[in-house]
Amino acid sequence: MSIATAPETETGTYGRRHGDYDVIVVGGGHNALVTAAYLAKAGQRVLVLERRERIGGAAETSELGGARVPRLAHTIGRLRPSIVRDLDLKSHGLRLLAPDARVFAPSPDGRAVTFWVDQARTVEALRAVSAHDAHAYPDFDRLVRSLGRFLGEIAAQTPPDIHAPRLDDALAGLKLGRTFRGLGKHDGRTITRVLPMAVADFVAEAFETDPVQAALAWRGVQYCSLGPWSAGSAAVLLFDAAGNDGGAAGQTVFAEGGPGALSEALASAARAAGAEIRCRAEVTAITSRDGRVTGVALSSGDEIAAAAVVSGLDPKRTLAGLSDPVAVGPSMLWRAGNYRTPGVVSKVNLVLGGLPRFTAAAGDDETRLRGRIVVAPGIDPMERAFDASKYGRVSDQFILEATIPSLVDPSLVDGAAPGTHVMSVIAQYTPYKLRDGSWDDEGRHDAVADAVVAQLDALAPGLAGLVREREVLTPLDLEREYGLSGGHPLHGEPGLDQFFLWRPFLGHARYRLPIEGLYLAGSGAHPGGGVTGQPGQNAAREILSDTKRRR
Amino acid sequence: MGQRYDAVIIGGGHNGLVSAAYLARAGLRTLVLEQRHVLGGAAVTEELYPGFRFSVFSYVVSLLRPEIIRELDLPRHGLDILPLDGTFTPLRPGDGPAKGGGDYLWRVNDHGRTIRELRRWSATDAEAYEEYGQLMVEMARFIKPILGITPPDLTSLDPRPLLPLASLARSFQQLPERQQAVFVQLMTMSAADFLDQWFETDPLKATMSASGIIGTYQGVRSPGTAYVLLHHYMGEIDGAFRAWGIPKGGTGGISNAIGSAARALGAEIRMEAPVARIIVKNGRATGVALENGEEIEATNVLSSVDARQTFLSLVEPGSLDSEFEDEVRRFKFRGSSGKVNLAVDRLPDFTSLPGFGEHLRGAISFSPSLDEMEGAYDDAKYNRFSRKPYIDMIIPTLVDPSMAPPGKHVISCFVQYAPYKLAPELGSWDDQREAFGDAVVDRIAEFAPNIRDIILFRNVQTPLDIERTTGLSEGNIFQGELSLEQLFFNRPVPGYARFKTPIRDLWLCGSSTHPGGGIMGANGRIAAMELLRSRGRKAA
Repeated sequence: MSIATAPETETGTYGRRHGDYDVIVVGGGHNALVTAAYLAKAGQRVLVLERRERIGGAAETSELGGARVPRLAHTIGRLRPSIVRDLDLKSHGLRLLAPDARVFAPSPDGRAVTFWVDQARTVEALRAVSAHDAHAYPDFDRLVRSLGRFLGEIAAQTPPDIHAPRLDDALAGLKLGRTFRGLGKHDGRTITRVLPMAVADFVAEAFETDPVQAALAWRGVQYCSLGPWSAGSAAVLLFDAAGNDGGAAGQTVFAEGGPGALSEALASAARAAGAEIRCRAEVTAITSRDGRVTGVALSSGDEIAAAAVVSGLDPKRTLAGLSDPVAVGPSMLWRAGNYRTPGVVSKVNLVLGGLPRFTAAAGDDETRLRGRIVVAPGIDPMERAFDASKYGRVSDQFILEATIPSLVDPSLVDGAAPGTHVMSVIAQYTPYKLRDGSWDDEGRHDAVADAVVAQLDALAPGLAGLVREREVLTPLDLEREYGLSGGHPLHGEPGLDQFFLWRPFLGHARYRLPIEGLYLAGSGAHPGGGVTGQPGQNAAREILSDTKRRR
Repeated sequence: MGQRYDAVIIGGGHNGLVSAAYLARAGLRTLVLEQRHVLGGAAVTEELYPGFRFSVFSYVVSLLRPEIIRELDLPRHGLDILPLDGTFTPLRPGDGPAKGGGDYLWRVNDHGRTIRELRRWSATDAEAYEEYGQLMVEMARFIKPILGITPPDLTSLDPRPLLPLASLARSFQQLPERQQAVFVQLMTMSAADFLDQWFETDPLKATMSASGIIGTYQGVRSPGTAYVLLHHYMGEIDGAFRAWGIPKGGTGGISNAIGSAARALGAEIRMEAPVARIIVKNGRATGVALENGEEIEATNVLSSVDARQTFLSLVEPGSLDSEFEDEVRRFKFRGSSGKVNLAVDRLPDFTSLPGFGEHLRGAISFSPSLDEMEGAYDDAKYNRFSRKPYIDMIIPTLVDPSMAPPGKHVISCFVQYAPYKLAPELGSWDDQREAFGDAVVDRIAEFAPNIRDIILFRNVQTPLDIERTTGLSEGNIFQGELSLEQLFFNRPVPGYARFKTPIRDLWLCGSSTHPGGGIMGANGRIAAMELLRSRGRKAA
C-alpha cells in the first residue's frame, strides 16, 4: 500500500485509556512525525493525531487523473541526512532520487541556463551565456557552500536561551563562536554583511547576466512575500543552502513515490519505535490547567491526557487557535496574532499526455527537464510579479518552479496511459489577501491554472494540448486543507523579523511555548520551513532534555 | 611646503567641523580644508534668489547630539534651533472620515490635541497611540547608547572592543520580554508591517512610516525600515525642541556655529581649498595635496567625505589591497532623494484645511496612504522618479521670517523618490530636472491647488546636482545607504568600522561611518575620540 490511510485498528475510538501517553503530537506533518519517531525511540509513549485521513501534511502524494502527483511540496533535497540515518528511513522504504540536473531556467527567447550537480558541467553551460559568469560561478558556489555549512550548524542547534543562560547554552555559544571563526575572516565578515541583504544585490556581486541572476535569486524569495530587492532575501537563500550541500543552485532530490513516501517512511519508523498514529482525529483544543498542559480535546468529544503536547501546526494556529487564551496571556496573544503569515503561493498539478518539449531544451532536453524548471525571466520581472502581490493583486506573469517527477520516478505513472507524465508547478505571486473579491469567487482557480499553463506553453509549445487533468490549490485552499495560516507553506514568513532567536517569538525560540509542557515542532520554529525535518529533530532533543530534568 | 599639522581634515561638513573642534580642543594643530566658498557641505544656507535664503540640501536638525551642543558650547556660537510643531498630512476630498469635503490628519506636540484628532479617525488608534508612544520612548532610551559606540570587529580575537556590546546585552536582558521582542522587530521589520500591529488609520501609518524611508532606496514595506521610527522618539528624550526643528538662519547656521566653535578652540579653516589627493608614503598618510598643487604635511589625515571618494579617488591608486577596494566598491550609495526649493509670494492653501493657520508651521507630509508611499518606491525601483512622490514640506519663513523679504516665503520640499540612476529611455538628470520639478509641483497641487500661482522661483536639486555640488557620491545624503547590511560593524566596510582605515594615520569621520547620516555629529565626535585614544596609546 503506497499511500497511507492509517488502518482502522489504529484509529479505533476505543484507543488506550487516559494517561497512557507521555506525549501527544498534534498534526502528522513531516516535522511532527520526525519528533514522534525520535521521542518513541527514546522510550516515550507517543500518540500522533492527524486531522486529515492521511498523514504527511504538505509532504503528500495524491491521486490525480490516474497518476500520482506531489500535491504540495515536490522535492525533498533539504531533508537532513542525520534524520535519514538516525531513523534508518531507508529500511522504512525511503528511496532518494537525485537527477544530474539541478535547475533548468528557460527564457522566452529560447535560451536557457542549466545548473548541474557537476560544477564543471555548470561552468561549461554558463560559458555559452557569459564568460564572466562562468568564471564567477565556482567562487560563488564555494561561498554559498561555506556559508551554508555554517548556517547548517546553526540550524541544527537550539537557539541560545536569552533569559537564563545555562552552562550548556554558553557552551553552545562557544561552539557557535568557533564555527564562526572557522569561516575565516573573509567569509565571517561576508556573512554579517550578506545575511540582511537583498538577494538581487547578493547575486549581482558575482554575476552580470540577468537570467543567471534571476535563476539563482529565486531560492531567496520562494514561498515568501519577498521580492529579489527585499532585504533579507539573501538569508532565505543561504538558509535554503544550510545543511545540504546544494551550493549555488540548491539541491534537487525526489522521493521515489513522491514526497508522501517520505511521510510514509517517517510514520513507519515512528510506529516501529512504538508510536501510535491516528488519522481523522481532529484536535479542537489543547487543554491546560494552571499554566500547564493537560492534554488535548478532539472534535469527537474525546479528551486525551498527556504530560506534554507537541504541536506540528504553525504557531499562530497553535496559540491563537487551539490554546486557552487565558493561559497564553494577552501580550503573547497579541504577538501570536501579529505573527506574519502572508501566503503568496499557489500550487498547480498537471497530468500530461506526453512529455512537454521546451524550445530552450531542444536536443537532449530529457535530462535537463529532470531537475527543477525555474521560470524567472529576470530580476525586474520577479520584482514586478512581487509588486502586484503587495497590493493584493495576482501577478499577470508568475514566477514558476516546475518539476516533472515522472521523468525521474516512473512509478508515479504506473497504470496510467503510456507516455503520461505529471508536472508539479509552484506559482508565485498569488497573495492570500486579495484587494477585491476572494479566492472563493467563481473562476479564480481556473484563472490561475490557465495563466500557468499559458506561461509554460509559451516556453514549451504544445504543452497546453497535453494537459489531461489539472488541480489548483490557492493560498486559501492551503489554509483550509492543510491548516496553514494565511496559506503560508513555511508556517510563517522567514523574514529577518521571524528568524533564529526570534522564530517564532523572541523568548520562545527553544521549542517551548508559553504554556508549560507545550512544544512547537513545526516549520514555525527555528530553523524554519521546507522539508528538512530539522525543527522536528531539534524539538525532540529539547523535549527529551526536559523529561530527563523532570525525573 | 606649508607648515606641519597634527591633523588635517578633508571637508568642512558638520562632521568634519565637529572632529576639528574636538581635536583642537585636545590641543592638536588642526586644519580643515573645504572645497566650496560656503562652510557646511550639505548643511548650508545660500541665497539662491535675491532676498530669499534657502537651506539648499539638509533642512531640519534631527539628532544633533546634545553632548556636542554642550561640550562645544554651540549656543554661544550662535546655534539657535527653532521648534517645528507637529505634522500635517493633507488629504484629498473623500480620503478621510469627514463627510463631504476633504480631510487631513494633524498631529501636534500637544499630546491631548493629537489624541483628540486621532479619535476622529479611530478610537482604537487613539488608544494604541498612547501605548505605542510610551513603548517607543522606552526603546529609544535603550538604543541611544549604540549611537555612541565604536563598532567591534566580530572576527577579531581581541575581546575588548566587544565590551560595549556586552553591557548592551546586559541592559537588553533587563528589558521585559515584550520590549525585547519589539526591539528586534524595530531592527528587522518594515515600517509598514511594524505599524500595522498597532494602527488601522492609513494616513497615520503612511506619515509615520515616512521617517523610515528618508534617504534610503527602500520602501515603507521594505524590511529594515522600522528602525528609523525610533529617531523621532530619541529626539523626544533630549526634549523635542532641541532635537527637532530648524536652525535660525537655515542649516548653514549649524555649520557656522560648529565652525566658529572650532576656530575658537584653535582650529584653522581654509575655504575654496579642494583636496586633490591624500599623500601616502609607505603605508602611512603623511598629508594632502591641494588641487592648486600645494602640499600640506600632517601627522593624521581625517576624511569627512564619503568612503568611495576617500578610497577610490583621493587615495593614490595602489595604496590599498584590491580586496579592500572591492569591498569599498560594494558599499552602496544609490541616492534616492531630491530637493525642490521654492520662493513664493503667498502661502500655499490646502483644500482640506483652508487658510494659513498653525498647520503650516510644522512639517507638511504628502503621505496620504501606505500604498501611495510604496507606489512611489516602485517607480524608483525601475529607475524612474516617482510620479506621485512623497514630499516632506517645510515653510521655514513661518518660524524664521529672516529667510525671506517681509510677506514672502521660502518653501523647502524634500522629495522621494528620485533615483540617481535613471532608466536609459529617460536620459540623464540634466534632461529630467524640470520634469521632476513639475511632478513635485503637480503633487503639491493635488492638495494645495494655488501652488501653481504663487511660485516666484524654483530650484530643483536632483541626486546628480547634489553629487556635483556637495561631492556626495550618487547624491546619497547619508554618505552610503543606511540599509541593514551597511550599518554598525559593516559601515562602511566589514572589519573597518572603527574609523581607522587600512592606511595608517588616515581616518574616516563622515557619515560613511557608524552611526550613519543625518545632522548628528556623532561620527565626527567618535572619530576624534578614537584618534585621540590611539595617540594616547602611542604616547604611553
